[in-house]
Amino acid sequence: MQKRIVTMLTAMSLMLPAAAVAASGDALFLQSCGACHKKGGKAAIVNPADKAGTVWEKYFARGRHPVDMGMSDADLQAVVKYLVKHAADSDQPAAAVIPK
Amino acid sequence: MKKILLTAGALLAWTSCAVAGAGGQTVAIPVEDYKAILERLDTLQKRVDQMEKAESPSGKATAAAMPSKLAKDVETIYDTLDKVETKTLKDRINLGAELRTRADFFKLKNDANFGGAGSVEHNDNHWTNRFRLNLDSEIRKNLLFTGRITAYKNFANSDNNTFANDSNAAHLPGDSGLKLDRAYVDWIPEGMPVPLAFTFGRHPSSEGPPSELKENRLRQSTYPSLLFDGEADGVVATVGLERYLGWKNSGIRFAWGKAYQDTNTSVSYMDNAGGMYDDTNIYAMFFETEIPGVRDSLLVLSALQASDLVGDGTYVGGTGKADIGDMTLYGLHVQANNLMDSGFDLFFSSGLNKTDPSGNTVTDAYGRPTGLMNTGANTDEHSGWAIHTGLRYNIPYKPWNNPKIGFEYNHGSDNWFSFTWGSAELYNKLATRGDAYDFYYIQPFNDNLFGRLGYTHIDYNYTNSGMHLGDFGDSTAELDNLYFLLDVRF
Repeated sequence: MQKRIVTMLTAMSLMLPAAAVAASGDALFLQSCGACHKKGGKAAIVNPADKAGTVWEKYFARGRHPVDMGMSDADLQAVVKYLVKHAADSDQPAAAVIPK
Repeated sequence: MKKILLTAGALLAWTSCAVAGAGGQTVAIPVEDYKAILERLDTLQKRVDQMEKAESPSGKATAAAMPSKLAKDVETIYDTLDKVETKTLKDRINLGAELRTRADFFKLKNDANFGGAGSVEHNDNHWTNRFRLNLDSEIRKNLLFTGRITAYKNFANSDNNTFANDSNAAHLPGDSGLKLDRAYVDWIPEGMPVPLAFTFGRHPSSEGPPSELKENRLRQSTYPSLLFDGEADGVVATVGLERYLGWKNSGIRFAWGKAYQDTNTSVSYMDNAGGMYDDTNIYAMFFETEIPGVRDSLLVLSALQASDLVGDGTYVGGTGKADIGDMTLYGLHVQANNLMDSGFDLFFSSGLNKTDPSGNTVTDAYGRPTGLMNTGANTDEHSGWAIHTGLRYNIPYKPWNNPKIGFEYNHGSDNWFSFTWGSAELYNKLATRGDAYDFYYIQPFNDNLFGRLGYTHIDYNYTNSGMHLGDFGDSTAELDNLYFLLDVRF
């Protein structure tokens, strides 16, 4: 059994470099969108669960964001993917709430 | 507007010339032309008046100024939105659903640990369907409701597991009846001196961290699954600490619940005569936070006291019921998802349990008096421990929708016991007194449909895994389970 575990862990570690370069939509969302969409910021706080996934996609496809975000297409797609992943109709975490 | 005014100005200039001519130079134009000019001026003046009327006092164009079709469309859209908004506000509960079909193929060697005797090899397959109806509602800004109703059934409504109690009512396959899995309200009172929330009802206390990794979803419970994995009724008060500590999602929880509520069936309507047994109360305290500097991580420290545990002899094939003592549990859980953007999710959990037997006993299957982790009416205290660790790797291969592979390992000592009867696994893996190895592969087909193929091997070093009644004995039992399942969530 231990030999099987070592083989499995080795196989998994070989895939590490490929994952390390993957774009991080959540980091882009926090950095780029969060620069304005924050408490006391230029724009209201935005939560991915404010809209359904398809609505987020349409929102950006129609160019409805009122301000040029200065993001590349690839970065914008990563942010949209993050928003869709955590949208109102996506899987949501469940636990007793922690007040802020 | 500009064009019209310029035209009017030119005509006025021409007219003024004609009039000026009367006092000085004379311009002769036919009377008809002069009248035509006046009529034209009159028409233009009327158009200017109409356009000025069409402007509201604020200077913004109104629907009346729009072309009639556009104005009509706008009115239609407003009417439709009114209906949609009304309908949305009337839909007080959002609904979601889950369906799982699972097949387990078991191979069990020496099933003394499972109620049999001697060295027996037993092969079996077990098919189940599980349907969940999820409900949630933001009743008000600070009042949230969440519920889940479950029907978890064996194929053909047979091959039932008999070890059923309230904490696994919706987690143990049986018939097609609906069970209340969860129904709780989060209430965040306003104007409190500290950030405070109350959660009451039937709690999100099953399939906790790190179960969500294997279940391919987000966190589904308040408590780490090694310590508590089951349905529970109670009240939790949570104090938010983020504003004081600066640690994201940090808070401390004070939980109370009842694992047994005594009744007196001889009295109608109400239990007003006092029962034969004390109620089992569970008091717990949890501190949790995201680990500073580690995004999407979780640290939970737990302490739990279960007082006056009621032992039920039928759980071990015997008879009787008694208050058998108290149990204390401590736990540590650390988890980091997508650690340093590596694609790896890692976790480590540990637990410690300690008994305080009352000396009361029930009768086991062999007619022996049996108490809290003791055989006979003695009050020997016992301690046990367990660890649970593992990792999951998110394979960055988009053509296959980024499948995931994972491995988990847990070890429990001879006297290990915690409240994991609501385990998603039929064999209550985390209760193992011995070693459990668990491999799985998750294949997403799209955002709503997932498949999982898994293999679990368990070496039971001691008997009575998952049972707080009776003393342990040595065991050489082994369980192999190959399973696959299909999940749909929407």
